[in-house]
Amino acid sequence: MVKIAYFDACIETPEEIILAADMIPIRLFGDPTKNIDKANEHIPPNHCVWARNILQQAIEGFNGDIKGVITTHGCDCTNREFDIWLECVDLEFLYFLNAPLKRNKTALKFFINDMKELITQLEDKFKVSITLEKISKAIKKMNQIRELLREISEYRSKMILKGSEFHALVKEVQQIEKNEALEMLESKLVALKLQKPHLDNKLKKVLLTGSVIDDTEFIKFLESLGFHVISDDICIGTKYFWGNIDETEDPIKALAEYHLSKPIYSTKFPSYERFETIKNLAEKYNVDGIINIAQKFCEPVLYDHPYFNKKFKELEIPYLFIEMEYNRESYKQLATRFEAFAEII
Amino acid sequence: MSKVKKSGKMLNATNKLKNEMGRHFLAIEQAYREGKPTAWATAGTPVELLYSMDVQPMLPENSATISAALKHSQNFIELAEDEGFSYDLCSYFKTNVGAVLSKADMSIGGTRKPTFMMSSDVICDTHVNWFQVQAERFNVPHFTIDVPHVVSNTNNRQREYFKNYIKEQLWELLDFITEVTGNEYNKEKAQEIAQNSYEMGKIWQDVFELRKNIPCPVSTRDTFGGLFPLFTMTGLKSPIKLYKRMYREAKERVDKGIGALEQEDFRLMFEGIPFWYNLKFFSNLERWNAIVVYEPYVYAFTKYTNPNVTKNDVINNPVECMAELILSFWYIYDLETRFEKFKETVRDWKIDGVLLHNNMSCRPNACGMYDLKRKLMEEADIPALIIDSDMNDPRKMSETQVLNKIESFIEILRERKKR
Repeated sequence: MVKIAYFDACIETPEEIILAADMIPIRLFGDPTKNIDKANEHIPPNHCVWARNILQQAIEGFNGDIKGVITTHGCDCTNREFDIWLECVDLEFLYFLNAPLKRNKTALKFFINDMKELITQLEDKFKVSITLEKISKAIKKMNQIRELLREISEYRSKMILKGSEFHALVKEVQQIEKNEALEMLESKLVALKLQKPHLDNKLKKVLLTGSVIDDTEFIKFLESLGFHVISDDICIGTKYFWGNIDETEDPIKALAEYHLSKPIYSTKFPSYERFETIKNLAEKYNVDGIINIAQKFCEPVLYDHPYFNKKFKELEIPYLFIEMEYNRESYKQLATRFEAFAEII
Repeated sequence: MSKVKKSGKMLNATNKLKNEMGRHFLAIEQAYREGKPTAWATAGTPVELLYSMDVQPMLPENSATISAALKHSQNFIELAEDEGFSYDLCSYFKTNVGAVLSKADMSIGGTRKPTFMMSSDVICDTHVNWFQVQAERFNVPHFTIDVPHVVSNTNNRQREYFKNYIKEQLWELLDFITEVTGNEYNKEKAQEIAQNSYEMGKIWQDVFELRKNIPCPVSTRDTFGGLFPLFTMTGLKSPIKLYKRMYREAKERVDKGIGALEQEDFRLMFEGIPFWYNLKFFSNLERWNAIVVYEPYVYAFTKYTNPNVTKNDVINNPVECMAELILSFWYIYDLETRFEKFKETVRDWKIDGVLLHNNMSCRPNACGMYDLKRKLMEEADIPALIIDSDMNDPRKMSETQVLNKIESFIEILRERKKR
């Protein structure tokens, strides 16, 4: 089966459209152990390392089944980076999805148009038919996946499921065939239901937020320092399965509405609303603290930080902000700061 | 390295710029005195619509350049960093934050609390984040215009719904202004403003046309120096007079065969925002008899660069036209169009080499520059050099290093001339 990958710093790519084309959506992730010398020939060193990492993989060449990539607008470097991909990446299909900045009816209409254009271009390129019926069917399947992930995610707060295990699970769902994902999640849930709480209650329960955090090893690293990621506000986490898509609406409209009604990202406007989501999650799960990670040069998250810092101080919720390099060596260098935070919460 | 030569001749008209800037600041003072609504606006937004709605615009970006020119930007930037804003964030933004925190006077780049803020991501999402930060600080309403991103494979069908999206938001903006200020949209006034704006843009383009001549009559000090009204006063009559004077003076130089430099050996293009804290840097080029004859950044703000948008369109449909113009703004061209435009410009302005400013503060502008350079050199045989620096943060510029790079680049150009 043809695979269409997507490069998304948030999570607004409509996987359902790819599924409706009888293709497999694959989310692209970085590899922090990778040398990115080829990407560095195209993007200056003071730009997002994660984006450079994925470009490196694209230049080297993906698995042969991946015939195309959809880049979904994150920050305003992503469109410039897309032009670079057009220059140096050898793929049959490249589409830039302009996920809008705003969250209102005008933006919704625009997003619907851009999704329709994506459908037209996929149909033209691969000679497939993406019908509304097929999209509706894909929405149903994805809703099942979302429901399962939501239920499984709760086992973190039940002290049964480690944050790192859950993170790896969400990652896997974004990278495998969705029927397979469905089966995997169903059996995982059955297994979890049989377990009793066994995680150490002395672990510091934290909420994780920030830029794209796609290296499960980082979550494991936090766990090694005595933290338990009980909840999150990241795109390889709650943002992937937040709510369901309306199955009674026109499916394209429902898809667009879903993505624009999810909790906002730092890359969109007004990003300060992200504070409310984090606060609500922190209160719901009664966390000991919040960890906000900005990948180096991730401007949208860097802009939001002082506001979050001020607001969480007002609420007396412990908050740790870290600017982090995208490599595993840097985790170790930051250990002292994390340990100090663990001490105070 | 040879010694710095005496400075290239500036146009007398450019010296009158201070009067124009003074007029702008007086208008702001007057607006506050009279209780007239005011707005902060980011570069690339339709300032004309503010004037049309009888709202006095203020552009913090331009104020930030004043701070830099007067050597205050570093101090302001460091104040913003003390507030938690990263070293890596936009230096215009941080200059503005620091200026506000220290309640700086307008004469050194301070800006007053506005009635509302208008931003857009036409140039970068930093603008939107910037005004979000400051709108929260001042507790004022903020409207942002979302501009879809044209990429190298965007088709005409897409451009149509992109344009409609912008158009709808511009009408929403007018409703927002009415709601906040009580001022109604008046088409006649908007048409008058649009006509002035068009005229001002076109005169700048005429000045640029004169720069095609050898020797070039207008130096980068005139263009960077004369830029201020193009951002802040577009739609007003008074700067048109100033620009007409610049044009007349430049034309006279052309007719007499006089250049801005005594001896012009190398003609350069400078892409990106200049280093406002060190504009004299450009005088250094004179030691090699080199002159910048074209700056895409400046030309972009002449706004009316889309041949499909006529003067009649602009005057008859001032709101609708703005959508088309925003979408075809020179400064945000996709890589392929940018490359084509560079080739065309290098040919028409008889340019020997291109300087590309990899601006630490402006990632969207710098992203793609490596490929642009490679394409210029490999596909079009146009020499190009990347300079790493920052527009407003002097800590990020190593002048000696940059000059050494340029000196080597000039040597390459010299060798090419011998071919």
